[in-house]
Amino acid sequence: MQPQLDLEQINSRVQLLKRTAEELNQLGENFPALTRNMVRIMASIKMLEINITDVFALRARD
Amino acid sequence: MIEQPFWNPILETLPREKIRQLQLRKFKQIFKWAYNHSKFHKLLYVNAGIKPEDIRSFDDIRKIPTVEKSMMRDIQGKEPFPYGDALCVPLEEVTVFRQTSGTTGQPVYQPDTWQDWEWWMECWSTILWAQGYRPMDKVFIPFGYNIFVAFWAGHYAAEKIGCEVIPGGVLDTKARILKIQELRATAMMGTPTYILGMAETARMKMNLDPAHLTINKITCAGECGASIPSTKRRLEDAWGAKVYDHAGATEIGAWSFECLEQPGGMHVNEALFLVEIADMETGEIIEEPGRQGRMIITALDRQAQPCVRFDSKDVIEWSKEACPCGRTSRLIKGGVVGRADDITKVKGVLLAPSAIEEVVRAVDGLGDEYEVIVDKVGDADRIQLKVEVLPEAQNRCRLIEATLSDQLRLKTNLRYDIEICGCETLPRYEVKAKRFKDLRKKEK
Repeated sequence: MQPQLDLEQINSRVQLLKRTAEELNQLGENFPALTRNMVRIMASIKMLEINITDVFALRARD
Repeated sequence: MIEQPFWNPILETLPREKIRQLQLRKFKQIFKWAYNHSKFHKLLYVNAGIKPEDIRSFDDIRKIPTVEKSMMRDIQGKEPFPYGDALCVPLEEVTVFRQTSGTTGQPVYQPDTWQDWEWWMECWSTILWAQGYRPMDKVFIPFGYNIFVAFWAGHYAAEKIGCEVIPGGVLDTKARILKIQELRATAMMGTPTYILGMAETARMKMNLDPAHLTINKITCAGECGASIPSTKRRLEDAWGAKVYDHAGATEIGAWSFECLEQPGGMHVNEALFLVEIADMETGEIIEEPGRQGRMIITALDRQAQPCVRFDSKDVIEWSKEACPCGRTSRLIKGGVVGRADDITKVKGVLLAPSAIEEVVRAVDGLGDEYEVIVDKVGDADRIQLKVEVLPEAQNRCRLIEATLSDQLRLKTNLRYDIEICGCETLPRYEVKAKRFKDLRKKEK
């Protein structure tokens, strides 16, 4: 019962989210309220990569 | 909208060949990570003559040396303190400390980054979703939140799923039962020993039938019990709830789980873990179902202290059946059968303590607790088994003893000295029980 998901779309948004998070992190030097929250956000983005990007990469190779 | 049975409908239904491709790719990544960031791992692999670029297939993976818990014990306490040189990240990136329970010796420290902790929650989210946890659930966790990982990740995963989580931390057993009743909790997590103990407390000390409470599902961990059919039956009957097993370990992660189908085995979460089964004698990797061996496991995404080909000593076997739930991950038959450390030869016969539990818990009239003591009388091994008879079965003691003796001989091929004890005379345990004592090792 796999839902019809546009993995390419989802993955490209995940990558956009990742780039944004990395940029925000660089902008936040000496701003703990930003950088420490970004650590958590980036850990969550990594979970999206495990759930989505890794599978997308597998399909993209076919 | 149709109810989604899978936490990740793509990963959990991947065709087998895709799962294997994913595992191989992720293994290469985690191996390279450990090689490049951990002095401990690099030395191990350099000594074995293996570099990251040598790993091209599952056959190559099998050549990589395994890591044992004793090796982790040896490095801890050294720099970077207290973890030693298996640590792959700067100390300031470690956000969580846990340690193993010390069941098999000196506890092992486990550092995790925040990413690792998110990953723990991801492992548990897969488990809880597969066992029917949904945002409407009220999850009661009767666990003494402490340095053991136990149900911490289950707590946060339940929150992530959207459940309402009730931490039963420092409450005593009676207070926990009353809180379940007061808040109408629908789900619970605990060791089989403690969940059975709670039911006994409710019945014997509170005059309350736990099956009349609102708990409808229980997730067990920490012991084999929930995969032992007779123990599962006792748990389910006591609470009027479905009971699901799960397996995990501090230094590994939560790697396996039973789904709603209760297929007589547990799914391996193969997107996050590579599980290999090694023959107990030869170390040869077993691919086919039906042969028990020691689990060698790799956590494919764990960062701070990697778990690469860890010899867990859990005894498992592949199931030949696929699960009707639709997940494509392999099942291990009957869950974790025992630990290689615990399976011992008595009178020349291999004995797994879980086999004794399966028999004891299936005999009508016996309580949940038992104790097994193996020692020597002269040169001969002796097995003493202490069991409790329930008050209502006191007049059937002889019949119970005979039934128990027959069933044990049938199941384990051994003879036991059985001692029938009164109710509530054997020790009770809050977390992991220690019911099997082999005194022969001490006598040597």
